Amino acid sequence: MRLLTQTFLLLKKDLLLELRRRESLMTMFFFGTLLLFVFHFSFDLVPDRVAEMAPALLWLAFLFTGTLGLAQLFEAERNNHCLEALLLSPMDRGALFLAKTAFNFILMFLVEIVVFPLFWILFNLRPWDVIPYLFLVTLVGTVGFCVLGTLLSAVTLKARARELLLPLVLFPLMIPVILGTIRCMETILRTGELGDALPWLRLLIGFDVIFLTVGVLIFDWVIEV
Amino acid sequence: MAEISKTSVKSKGYLGALALIGVLLGLYWGLLHAPPDAYQGEVQRIMYLHIPSILTAYLSFFLVFVGSCLYLWKREKRDDILAYSAAEIGVLFTALTIIEGSIWGKPTWGVWWTWDARLTLTAILLLIFAGYLMLRSLTEDENRAASAAAVLGIIGFLDIPLIHMSVYWWRTLHQPPSILRPDKAPWDNVHPAMLTALAINFVAFVLLYFYLLSRRFRLGEISEEIKARLLNRDH
Amino acid sequence: MHLTVRHLAKAYGLRWALKDVGFDLPAGEIVALLGPNGAGKTTLLKLLAGLLSPTAGEIVLDSSNFSRSATAQRSAIGFLTPGEHLYENLTVRENLVFFISLYNKGGASRQIDATLDEVGLKHHSEEYVAALSSGMKCRLSIAKWKLLEPALLLLDEPYGVLDGNGIDLLESFLRGRRHEGSIVIIASHHVARVVNLCTRALILHQGSLTFDEVRQQPWESFTRAFGEFLPHGES
Repeated sequence: MRLLTQTFLLLKKDLLLELRRRESLMTMFFFGTLLLFVFHFSFDLVPDRVAEMAPALLWLAFLFTGTLGLAQLFEAERNNHCLEALLLSPMDRGALFLAKTAFNFILMFLVEIVVFPLFWILFNLRPWDVIPYLFLVTLVGTVGFCVLGTLLSAVTLKARARELLLPLVLFPLMIPVILGTIRCMETILRTGELGDALPWLRLLIGFDVIFLTVGVLIFDWVIEV
Repeated sequence: MAEISKTSVKSKGYLGALALIGVLLGLYWGLLHAPPDAYQGEVQRIMYLHIPSILTAYLSFFLVFVGSCLYLWKREKRDDILAYSAAEIGVLFTALTIIEGSIWGKPTWGVWWTWDARLTLTAILLLIFAGYLMLRSLTEDENRAASAAAVLGIIGFLDIPLIHMSVYWWRTLHQPPSILRPDKAPWDNVHPAMLTALAINFVAFVLLYFYLLSRRFRLGEISEEIKARLLNRDH
Repeated sequence: MHLTVRHLAKAYGLRWALKDVGFDLPAGEIVALLGPNGAGKTTLLKLLAGLLSPTAGEIVLDSSNFSRSATAQRSAIGFLTPGEHLYENLTVRENLVFFISLYNKGGASRQIDATLDEVGLKHHSEEYVAALSSGMKCRLSIAKWKLLEPALLLLDEPYGVLDGNGIDLLESFLRGRRHEGSIVIIASHHVARVVNLCTRALILHQGSLTFDEVRQQPWESFTRAFGEFLPHGES
């Protein structure tokens, strides 16, 4: 399908550019790791308290790291008015949305796959067998973050004080994802299985599906030169 | 070019008068006529303002949504004016709701603020409205500002049910709705005079809201008119 | 390709950049778009490219209305501004491959090497665009549009960065496009060269079209119309 072909083309281009400069990935990775240390000093994370706060702290770290990634999302298109070049072409605007969302997701995934176990090790957390469930929940939440984040990153593209405005409009709308992932993870940690956390997981998946669809349909009106 | 028509001014005048009468009636009914609550006493009376306030705040966001959808579809300036006018009045009513809730909260719970579901949701609504207005004012070029805000308005509206669900599941300290209980009919557990007071105040608030909205809308129209005249003065 | 423009106008805030512009271009024309700074040349080109929405008027490409949302029609439109629309951190070849795929011109990929040779970039095909000089970037843009074969090609000041060889390259490319039935519109301050190349001239002044004629030899009317814009002492 044309939409998917163009999405892959754009995604490939972004990944190639990222592979060469590695600007986004490196800054996000270091920032995420740095936050773990900041949390340690801020919250005085003694062993018995860490387990309760782990999901929230992890998600806060990912949230801020992800916001960093969002701010740089359209960076490749800033030089030489390349965004104009894309809008000039017969590119489906929904393809640009999907490609940028996927790109940000891949970056966040790479950061999470390192920071997650790092967090577990650094704070001597105990239950290792629930990690796959926790990681799954993190991924579903990350999709929601990337979808809404890409939409709003494009909406605020031409605003002044963009670095401040983007989090300002994004965070209130992200509340279902923030609440959903953290509660879901807490439940999994508490009960050791997915069962009770399912309603939250369904909410997250619903969020992802709704805004993914809205994004593809509405992106034509969002992105302008 | 649109001209300020006499009938339009008159109809707004009627609306304003009606709103004023409604508010006065509502105040009378709520403060004097209705009996005090069995458990909460006099302080419960603020509910006659608090509940209509929050309902009009949500009505406001619905209008932002409608205006945003219409603007993206038809690209007519008046839909954009409707959207941001509704957002501005919406901020006002949302802030009012929070203040009223706080005034009610102090004698009832002993604190000015708690993070229970309803108060939190109202605060979130305020943040979303504020974000919408900030996006509008910070985006350069009017047409882009209008489009960007319209998209945000649509996304915000679609997100609100999800935000509700998540916050409600998470926190439920706020008193269960005493009027809208699914098992009993609305008029079973509330004194009829209190219901009437609430109904009158609700109607009054909606009238007041639409009066303020129409004034703000007119201001927006005049502003557009001035810009159009400035643009065409030497055309 | 047939291009018709009717009553096209564009306003930025309180200022008109273009007012009531209209013209009709059949296939196979090279049009010189001339005028002083701020006349609205770039605005007109961007409107024709679909990068801006007109405030009023319409653009008709091959008997169908063209608007910002008409994505399918975009594959026939090219826009060349020296130094722009190229990814700095991709190589020369990678840029061409990307745009060929984006425009869905599958067959062109075989011709990349030949085209690079034609524009004199054969030995630079694996270099990053960031490393190229502005003249070479312009040649790359020419290569790009050679491969994409647009039916409507818009150029904004292409002459500035090109050397003698590059200018010959550009002009033979444009003549080639004309013979294929494309419409070429060049906005430029290099009046002598552009007038020599063109089949028709349009002069914009303060947003209005003041001159629209097919080229003649000699061209008295043009000299009269454009005389006031020439630098002091030139003719």
